[in-house]
Amino acid sequence: MESDTLARALIATAVDGIIVIDAKGVVQVYNAACERLFGYALDEVVGRNVKMLMPEPYYSGHDGYLENYHLTGEKQIIGIGREVVGRRKDGTTFPMYLSVGEGQNLDRQIFVGIIHDLTDRKRAEDAIREREARLRSILETVPDAMITIDERGTVESFSLAASRLFGYGPAEIVGRNVKMLMPAPYREMHDAYLEHYRRTGERRVIGKGRIVVGLRSDGSTFPMELSVGEVDGGTRRLFTGFVRDITERQGAEQRLQELQAELLHVSRLSAMGQMTAAIAHELNQPLTAITNYVKAARRTLESRDTDAHAVQRAGEMIDKAALQTLRAGGIIRHLRDFVEKRESTRSPENLSKVVEEALALAFVGAADKNVKLKLNLDSTLPPVLIDKIQIQQVLINLIRNSIEAMLAVQTRELLLATGHGDPGFANVTVRDTGPGLPEHIASRLFQPFQTTKDKGMGIGLTICQSIVDAHGGRIWLLQDMPSGTGFRFRLPLSGNLDVAA
Amino acid sequence: MTDKAIVIVVDDDSAVRDSMRSLLESAGYTVRDYPSAAAFLKDPVPPGSCLVTDIRMPEMDGLELQEEIKKRGLDIPVVIMTGHGDVPLAVRAMKAGALDFVEKPFDDQAMLASVERALLIGHQERARLAEAKAAQELIARLTPRERNVLEKLVAGRSNKVAAYELGISPRTIEIHRANIMDKMRARSLSDVVRIALAADHSRAGHA
Repeated sequence: MESDTLARALIATAVDGIIVIDAKGVVQVYNAACERLFGYALDEVVGRNVKMLMPEPYYSGHDGYLENYHLTGEKQIIGIGREVVGRRKDGTTFPMYLSVGEGQNLDRQIFVGIIHDLTDRKRAEDAIREREARLRSILETVPDAMITIDERGTVESFSLAASRLFGYGPAEIVGRNVKMLMPAPYREMHDAYLEHYRRTGERRVIGKGRIVVGLRSDGSTFPMELSVGEVDGGTRRLFTGFVRDITERQGAEQRLQELQAELLHVSRLSAMGQMTAAIAHELNQPLTAITNYVKAARRTLESRDTDAHAVQRAGEMIDKAALQTLRAGGIIRHLRDFVEKRESTRSPENLSKVVEEALALAFVGAADKNVKLKLNLDSTLPPVLIDKIQIQQVLINLIRNSIEAMLAVQTRELLLATGHGDPGFANVTVRDTGPGLPEHIASRLFQPFQTTKDKGMGIGLTICQSIVDAHGGRIWLLQDMPSGTGFRFRLPLSGNLDVAA
Repeated sequence: MTDKAIVIVVDDDSAVRDSMRSLLESAGYTVRDYPSAAAFLKDPVPPGSCLVTDIRMPEMDGLELQEEIKKRGLDIPVVIMTGHGDVPLAVRAMKAGALDFVEKPFDDQAMLASVERALLIGHQERARLAEAKAAQELIARLTPRERNVLEKLVAGRSNKVAAYELGISPRTIEIHRANIMDKMRARSLSDVVRIALAADHSRAGHA
């Protein structure tokens, strides 16, 4: 009797529905959970065929199932359990998981069914499926390439645009480490980045966009804008990267980018043009006076009636000419002071970031030049105290010179390196595999109006030098290069007080 | 002729002015200089002089000075000194009547040649003006009828055609013609034509 009471309590309090039917399908037991699930009260169901709780085609098929089982003993559901559909009193249906067991009660065969409502789970699953479909349709239409990776850097998804951009099909890359899309040194450092983030939660790229360099399947590199978002998947984290190829930007944005680069160049040129005109005008006055005085002195001395007085006058003219020479020198000195004291905004900057951005900008329009990139950036460098725009101008100038020079050769490799220099300084190296510099240029490299280019003005390196000098740094040509050209310059670290402006 | 001719220098830079004085004096010219166009315009223009002016000056620049000289009908040839990139401005000055421009800094020969040429052209211009003035005075002596006849002669009409066009007899034309030659102190018909053209030239010049 006691066990009977226990069984009743179990049935009554079970969260899942419990139904017991006899061999003919007539309901013997129907618990409270079932009343909630199906909406029928106990006395509406007990004694009636269980198929009333099923929609078509189960409703019509159920008697047949039972008969078939009695005849063949072939189990379709018994001891297995499966997802089926239930029918409520109001005619609506719901997904449920049904497990059926077979037993004996008072020598009569019975079947026990346990019913677990799947409505909520189904709804959640449908929602997920719908969201996924929506997301997929978005991803297929977004022009930016999208790559999802897991915490270890393994690629989980690779959008169509990403395939186009990197030249890999999704099948070639999904399941592999995302670092294969990066040139050195990102490639080597990426695992460590992820590891660092897992450990410390310190964000470097996540949530911020930045300009980095991508590596295509053919080995070529390109500048790209990368924004990374994080997806907390509950048990695991995913990272979503949106990649935009800066070289292939379409429409207004690309033009804007180009215009900005152009503007920077033009404004520099026009500032130089104005400066040149001003210098020329200022210098012309003393130069005019000098030639006038000197020629007049000569004429005075050469005239037929040269006497002591004439010689004295000629001497005075020559003195005046000398004074005008000093005046011209003063104008030039004043100009130098003006250039050097020009307002510049220096702040501590992360050199690697400065170099990477300059690199990406310098590659705008050069992506198809098939230049291989080697980056060797020392991430342990403390910040450098610089005017970022000016130093990037120097870098862009050097990089563009290199790219241009390498068009003449087959092997096109550009090396960019940063590292510790003399105490208090960081070194930056830009090296190419171009044809190198002719001897006569190399020796007069930083003098204005020296150029190897057909259309060059020969002022780029002069500007580079004046910028680096103004930073308390120095720029020089790497000697003894087996081939190609290399420049190195040093910049003061932000703690270096000797050169603080 | 150019010895002791007066050259006027206008430049806002005192070293340029002083050195120009040295140069021009060493070449035998008498020099006057002014630090501005306004200062130059206050003084009367010495006869037979020429002006060398900088083009870039504060307040009135060389181009404006040239325009002012033309407006006032001043009798002085102008040479412009230009600096770097001022050539378009100098060309405008020449269109306004300047004779020449020389780029700073210049060779003494170039400047002196330019000054000499300016003085020569100024001299020729003055001679032409004097001739025109004399011719106009001669023509002023003619009666209106004689002037009509003169016009026909200058236009190349024969006596007969001129007589027909003026409605008088060829004989009367011949009488007028003799009077005209007499009044204009011309020895031949070609003298008459030359004087008439000179007078005409001067009128065009003043227009």
